[in-house]
Amino acid sequence: MIMRQGQQLLLPANPFFIWGTLLAGLLVNMLQNMGLWGNAAWVPDVLAIVLAFWSVHQPLRVGIGMAFVLGLCLDVHQGGLLGAHALAYTMLSFLAIAIHRRLLWFSVPSQAAQVLPLFFVAQVIELVAQMLGGGAFPGVQMFLAPVIQSLLWPVISVLLLAPQRRAPDRDANRPL
Amino acid sequence: MPLGTLDRTPPPFFRQGPSALSKLTVCSALAVFLMVADARFNMTQPLRAVIASVLYPLQWLVLQPTASVRNAAGYFQSLRAAQRSEEQAHLKLGLQSQKANQVEQLLLENTQLRSLLELRERVTAQSLVAQVLYDSADPFSRKVVVDKGLVDGVGAGSPVIDAAGVLGQVTRVYTAVSEVTLLTDRDQAIPVLNTRTGARGVAFGDPAVHGGGLELRFMAGNSDVLAGDLLSTSGVDGVYPPGLPVARVDRVERRVDSAFARIYLHPEALVSGTAHVMILKPVTAQITARPPADMPAAVGKKALKK
Repeated sequence: MIMRQGQQLLLPANPFFIWGTLLAGLLVNMLQNMGLWGNAAWVPDVLAIVLAFWSVHQPLRVGIGMAFVLGLCLDVHQGGLLGAHALAYTMLSFLAIAIHRRLLWFSVPSQAAQVLPLFFVAQVIELVAQMLGGGAFPGVQMFLAPVIQSLLWPVISVLLLAPQRRAPDRDANRPL
Repeated sequence: MPLGTLDRTPPPFFRQGPSALSKLTVCSALAVFLMVADARFNMTQPLRAVIASVLYPLQWLVLQPTASVRNAAGYFQSLRAAQRSEEQAHLKLGLQSQKANQVEQLLLENTQLRSLLELRERVTAQSLVAQVLYDSADPFSRKVVVDKGLVDGVGAGSPVIDAAGVLGQVTRVYTAVSEVTLLTDRDQAIPVLNTRTGARGVAFGDPAVHGGGLELRFMAGNSDVLAGDLLSTSGVDGVYPPGLPVARVDRVERRVDSAFARIYLHPEALVSGTAHVMILKPVTAQITARPPADMPAAVGKKALKK
């Protein structure tokens, strides 16, 4: 497969690690809600970042079906309109898969700028769905969430690719 | 380097499954179907209950560190704050003891009068104390989650109060938790009675106000409502027991171009930041059903046959 020059060769991704990080994303979302910020509108959706990340890096393992199911789980946890997050995540995952071949040719900060419209579209879909379902507009600060998510993209990239960047043959000097 | 150490494998040529676009179509259609079923027909409660039961261990797991941090913070609260609150409590007690003595007398008088008039004993609400676990994450509505559910006998529609007044109503019940829609939610309405004038009205949630408030709608432009009036539940809905404080009138706008006055209310209960609440049984559940109308006739027929 053709790769960008200077890009590191990666180890294969562990499927359990992928599912574990998706679950962790869901848990972080719950923690933000239950412990940290309540139902503030600007809170970044960590699960959306992790989902978009794996849709870009492992589109054969994490796809639209997984996004739909995770969206339903988040909908039930939040207690809003059932299906709003599912629709937003489905669209997010589809767009991420659509750009996944191109996106990996760019540097990580540039990738962050290119995933911003994806998060924005997902947020707008959720807003429209919830407003049609009879919700109240939570305020303009809800559009801060996609920006924060896109700023978190480099952090998530480093964290989630770390296991794949380990040495293929471990020795005393490189134990990990 | 052994085989299989690289992530870069060519994509499969033939085993590709359905295309991303078709998956998108199916999943979006399913999501839209679910939303319509949820918003219009209220048919999704079983699915919700199943997913909520699956998610409950995760939520419990996340709540543990949150609760312990909260407890630790409470533990290290300064002595000064405790003393201050004790002082305030004493003051309040002093003010209330006078009222409490009067209440004794009034209660006695009331029971005498009621027995005199042969009024039915006023229905007393059965109650259940619950703790607020967290605010519901949905920024489009105003809800909280409390730690009593189906196993504790909570029913959907039960009124929820806190120490200061009516907080809201239980709207969804899961196995171990339930969702309470606050009075300030856009879809929430409560029948109220102005305690000064006795005029009845309906208050609607108004989340657009900073911090959340209520609005008393459909009151005529010249109606007798003043800022500071206390509104309590009227009891005509058969859900809320009568006489619970709901809200206080914040300000009244009388406009020339509208037949109705715009009346902004401030809820009496601590709508955000309350820790313990009381879930009451709806009043309708306690009123005995009216006996069937044709009973005397049936008795009469039986009597005739015999």
